[in-house]
Amino acid sequence: MDRHPARADVLQGTLDLMVLKTLDAMGPLHGYGIARRIEQISEQALQLNQGTIYASLVRLMQKRWITGAWGTSDNNRKAKFYSITEAGRRRLHLETENWKRIAGVIGRVLRAEERG
Amino acid sequence: MMLAWIRALPARVRSWWSAGGVDQEFARELESHLAMLVEENVRRGMGTQEAERAARVRLGNQTQLRETNRELRGLPLLDEFLQDVRYGCRALRRNPGFALVAVLTLALGVGANTAIFSAVDAVLLKPLPYPHPDQLFFVFQQRERDAKVQAGWSWQNFLDLRDQNHAFSAMDASSRHELTVTGHGDPAVVTVTSVTPGIFSLLGARPLAGRLFLPGDGKPGAPATVILSESLWHGLFQSDPQILGTTIRLERRPFTVVGILPQSFRSTAQPRTNQLWIPLAQDPLFGSWMPNRDGHWLGVVGRLKPGVSLARAQADLNAISARLAREFPGENEGWLIRMAPLQEVIVGDVRPGLLMLWCAVGVILLIACVNIASLLLARASTRSREMAVRSTLGAGRGRIVRQLLAESVVLGLLGGLAGVALAYWGVHALGSLLSENLPQLNVARVDSAVLGFALALSLFAAFAFGLAPSFFAARWGLESRLREGNPRAGDTAASRHVRRALASAETALAVILLVAAGLLLRSYAGMAAMNTGFTPESVVKANFSLYSARYSGPQQWLEFTDALLVRLHGQPGLQDSALVVPTPIADVRLNVVFDIVGSPALAAGSSRTADYVAISPGYFHVMGIPLVAGRQFDQRDVMSAPRVTLVSQSLAREYFPRENPIGRQLSFAFGRESAVPRRIVGIVGDVRDVAPGVEPGPMVYVPLAQSPFPGADVVVRSPLETSAVVAALRHEIGGMDSELAVSDVSELPEAVQSSLAGPKFRTLLLALFAALALLLAATGIFGVVSYSVSRRTQEIGIRIALGATRTTILRMVMGETLGMTLAGLALGVPCALVGSRLMRHMLFGVSANDPATLAAVALTLVATALLAGYVPVRRAMRVDPLHALRHE
Repeated sequence: MDRHPARADVLQGTLDLMVLKTLDAMGPLHGYGIARRIEQISEQALQLNQGTIYASLVRLMQKRWITGAWGTSDNNRKAKFYSITEAGRRRLHLETENWKRIAGVIGRVLRAEERG
Repeated sequence: MMLAWIRALPARVRSWWSAGGVDQEFARELESHLAMLVEENVRRGMGTQEAERAARVRLGNQTQLRETNRELRGLPLLDEFLQDVRYGCRALRRNPGFALVAVLTLALGVGANTAIFSAVDAVLLKPLPYPHPDQLFFVFQQRERDAKVQAGWSWQNFLDLRDQNHAFSAMDASSRHELTVTGHGDPAVVTVTSVTPGIFSLLGARPLAGRLFLPGDGKPGAPATVILSESLWHGLFQSDPQILGTTIRLERRPFTVVGILPQSFRSTAQPRTNQLWIPLAQDPLFGSWMPNRDGHWLGVVGRLKPGVSLARAQADLNAISARLAREFPGENEGWLIRMAPLQEVIVGDVRPGLLMLWCAVGVILLIACVNIASLLLARASTRSREMAVRSTLGAGRGRIVRQLLAESVVLGLLGGLAGVALAYWGVHALGSLLSENLPQLNVARVDSAVLGFALALSLFAAFAFGLAPSFFAARWGLESRLREGNPRAGDTAASRHVRRALASAETALAVILLVAAGLLLRSYAGMAAMNTGFTPESVVKANFSLYSARYSGPQQWLEFTDALLVRLHGQPGLQDSALVVPTPIADVRLNVVFDIVGSPALAAGSSRTADYVAISPGYFHVMGIPLVAGRQFDQRDVMSAPRVTLVSQSLAREYFPRENPIGRQLSFAFGRESAVPRRIVGIVGDVRDVAPGVEPGPMVYVPLAQSPFPGADVVVRSPLETSAVVAALRHEIGGMDSELAVSDVSELPEAVQSSLAGPKFRTLLLALFAALALLLAATGIFGVVSYSVSRRTQEIGIRIALGATRTTILRMVMGETLGMTLAGLALGVPCALVGSRLMRHMLFGVSANDPATLAAVALTLVATALLAGYVPVRRAMRVDPLHALRHE
C-alpha cells in the first residue's frame, strides 16, 4: 500500500489502535465511554477533543473491525454502543505485536545511543 | 491509502445513499455524548451553564465534527457534482430558449447517430444469429482469370469437396428457387430452399414443432419430406394444428410435412416469408441435375474446425481444386476454390454505404457539438460576472470548470434522452427501408447496446462542447471584472475569434456532407436517366413455371409455350407479348461460357463469357431493343431447323473487332445442347441487364424453341392497366392448366426503379443529413452574427451618428458573415475532396471532384449564410443612433 504514511496517518492509526484495545478490554461501549477510558488509562496525558474519536470510529466501522448499535446506558440514556468484531480482534493482535516489536527496536536503538 | 479508500467504498456509497438519515443519527450520537459530558461536569460540581460550556469545549467544534464525519463517510466529490448538476438545471431553467436550442440540436445529432448505429450494429457488428458464427464460411468457386465471376457448385463437385477436405467439420449445400403449392385454395408460389439434411444442425436451428431433416431424408429414393416456415404455416395453412404428418403438393408431387421452423430462425433467404425447405434429392427442378458435374447451382456453407488457420484451410481447398481440374478438366479447369466469412458474404456491398452514412451522422454530431460550444461560449461571456463572484468567494479554477462541465453534462443527458426518443422514431421509420435494402439477419432496433452507445455519445458530446467554454470561463474568472459594471466584460476579442472560428468549422463540416450528397444525387440522377437499352414503359412481366409431373421434358415444355403464345396473341391487349428467360434487370442474369467455332483455343484458364437469354420471336419488339444488323428470330427457328443465335453490339465489338460476326458460329457451355454450334444471324443493341448503373456486357440470345425451359417470363407491352393485363394472363394460363401459378408479377419501370433502391436509399439519407448539417451551420452563423450585432449596437449607433450610411453597416455585418462562410468553404472543400475520393466507388458518371457539384455547394452555402445573416443585418441597419447612445 502506501510506503510513506503521512504523519497524520500515524497519529490516526495510533488512536484507532487505542479505540480497538479499549473495546477489546471493556466490551461494548459508547463514544463518551471510550473517550473517558482512553483519558483515564493515559492518566490524562492524552487530553483530546473527545469528538476526535468519532472519526476513528467511522474508519473502524468502514473496515468492519467494529460494529455499532443503539442501546441504553447505565443512567438510562440512549447512546450508540460499539463493540469489536472478530476481524477487529485479529487486527488488534497483529497491530499489538507490531507495536511491541517496533517499540522494542526503537528502545534498543535509543539505549544503545545513550550508552554510546 | 487508495486501496483502503476503495475497500471502504461500499460502506461509503451505502451511507451516501442514506445521507440524511446518517447525518441525523450522528447528530443524535453527539447530543448523547454531550449530555454525558454535562452530567459528568455537574457531578464535579459545576453550575449548569458552566457545565454545558465546558462539555462543548471537551467535545470540540460540532459543525466541524459533522463535516469531517460526512466527508469520511460519504463521497464528497459526488456530492459536489450533484450540487453542480442541481445548479446547472437551475441555470438552464433561467434561460429556456438557450436550453431548448441546445437540447434540440444535440437531440438531432444523437438521434441520427443512434438510429444509424442501430443499423450498423445489426448488420455489421452483431454476430450472425448462429452458434459460433465466426467458424462459418461460404465456400465458392471463382474463375481463375476473372475474380468477379464467383459461382456455386454442382452436386458431384460438392460431394468431392465435402469428402476430400480436412479443414471443415461440416459442409452443407442449399439451392433456392420458387415452386407452386397446390391443393390449398389458389395455387401459391413459395420460396423453396433445397438443402442437405445437415444444414439445420450446422446453423443451430431448432424446430417449433415436429423434427428437422435426418440424414435418411437426404438419400435418393427416400419418402419426400418438407419443413414449413412458421409464417407459411400461419398463412397458407391457417395454423392447422394437425399439419404434421399430412401431405402437401409441390409441383403436384406429394411431400409429407415433418416439422415447422420458428420465425426466430433467420434463414439467409430474402424475402423471409412463405418459405419451406425440402431435401435436395427431392427437388422437382434440380433433383435431376444431381448426377451432373457441370453447372454451378449450389451454395455451400462450411464450419471450420476449431484451431484450423485460414491459410491451412485455403491450402487444403487449393489442393482439392487442383485435383478436380486434373480429374474433370471439362468442368473444373480455370476454376479456383475460395472461402469467405459468411457474415461478409451476407453483408456484401452494403458495408461501404452504411459506413458512409455512419461517418455522415458522425459529422452531424460534430456540427451539433460545435454549435452548442459556440452557444455556451456566448453564454459564458455574459456570465463572466457570475464566475468572477464565484472565484472571489473562493471557488478554485478546477471547481468552476467542474461546475460548467456539470452543466454541459446536464445538457448532454437531456439532449441524449431526446435523441434516443428521436432514434426510436427514426429506427421505426427506417425499419421498412432497412429491411428492403439491408440483408439483416439481426433486426435493427434500439436495444441495450444501442442505448449504451447513445449514452456514451451524449457524454462525449457534453465534454466536447463543455470543455472550451469552461477553459475560457476559468481564465476570466481569475481576472476580477467585478469593478466594471460592464455587461460586455467577458466578451473578449479571443472569445469572439473562437466563436467565428467555430462557425467556420461548422460550415466546413457541412461542406463535406453537402459535397458528398451532391455527388450521390448526381450519380443517382445519372443512373435513373441512364438508357437501359430497352424501353420498360408500359411493359408488364409475369412468371410461370411448369411442374415436372405433367411437363416432363423439352417436348412438353415447347408444346405448352407454343400454345400459350398462340392464345396470348389472340387476346386484345396482349398481342404484343413474348416469352423470355431471364428478363433483364428484373431477374438474375445467366452468365455462360462460350467458344467461337474456328477460333484458336484460348490459353488455359481464360474464357469468354456472355449473358444468355432465351426468347420467343417478337421479344425485341416488345422490349424496344433495336436490331442493328442481320435478322431477328422468327417462326422458322425451331428444333428441327439449324441452330441460330443473336449477339449484342458489345459482344460483336469485343470478340469480332475487325470482321462481321454474322455467319460465324458460337457454342455455349450451358444447357442441354452444350457445345452445339449456333450460327450468328444478327446483331442487336446493348442492354443493361443487371442494373441501370452497370455497364452492359456481352450478351447472346437464342430462340426459346431451340433452348426450351420449364417455364418463362411473359413480357407484355399493353395499353391496358397492369391489373387488367395480369388478370388476362392468369385467365389464359389458368385456362390451359388450373394448377399453374402466375407469380413474380411486376411492371418493368418499377423493376428498374427497385434495382436502384440501394443507391436511392443512401442518397436520400445522405441528402437528408446534408440538409440537417446545412441547417445547423446556418443556425451557428446566425447565432454568431446576431450576437455580434447585439454586442455592437452602440458602436453601430455611433457610426451612424458619425455619418456612416446603411450600406456601410450592411457591408460591415455581411462582411463578417461572408468571412466565416468563405473560411468554412476554404477549409471544407479540401476535406470534402478527400471524402469524395473515399466514396468514389459509389459514384456513377460523375468525378469525385466534380466542379459543378462544388460550385453548387458553394452557392448554396453562401446563399444560406446570407439568409442566416439577413435578420441580424436588418436589425443592425435599423439601429437608432439616439436610442443606442442613450443606452450607454
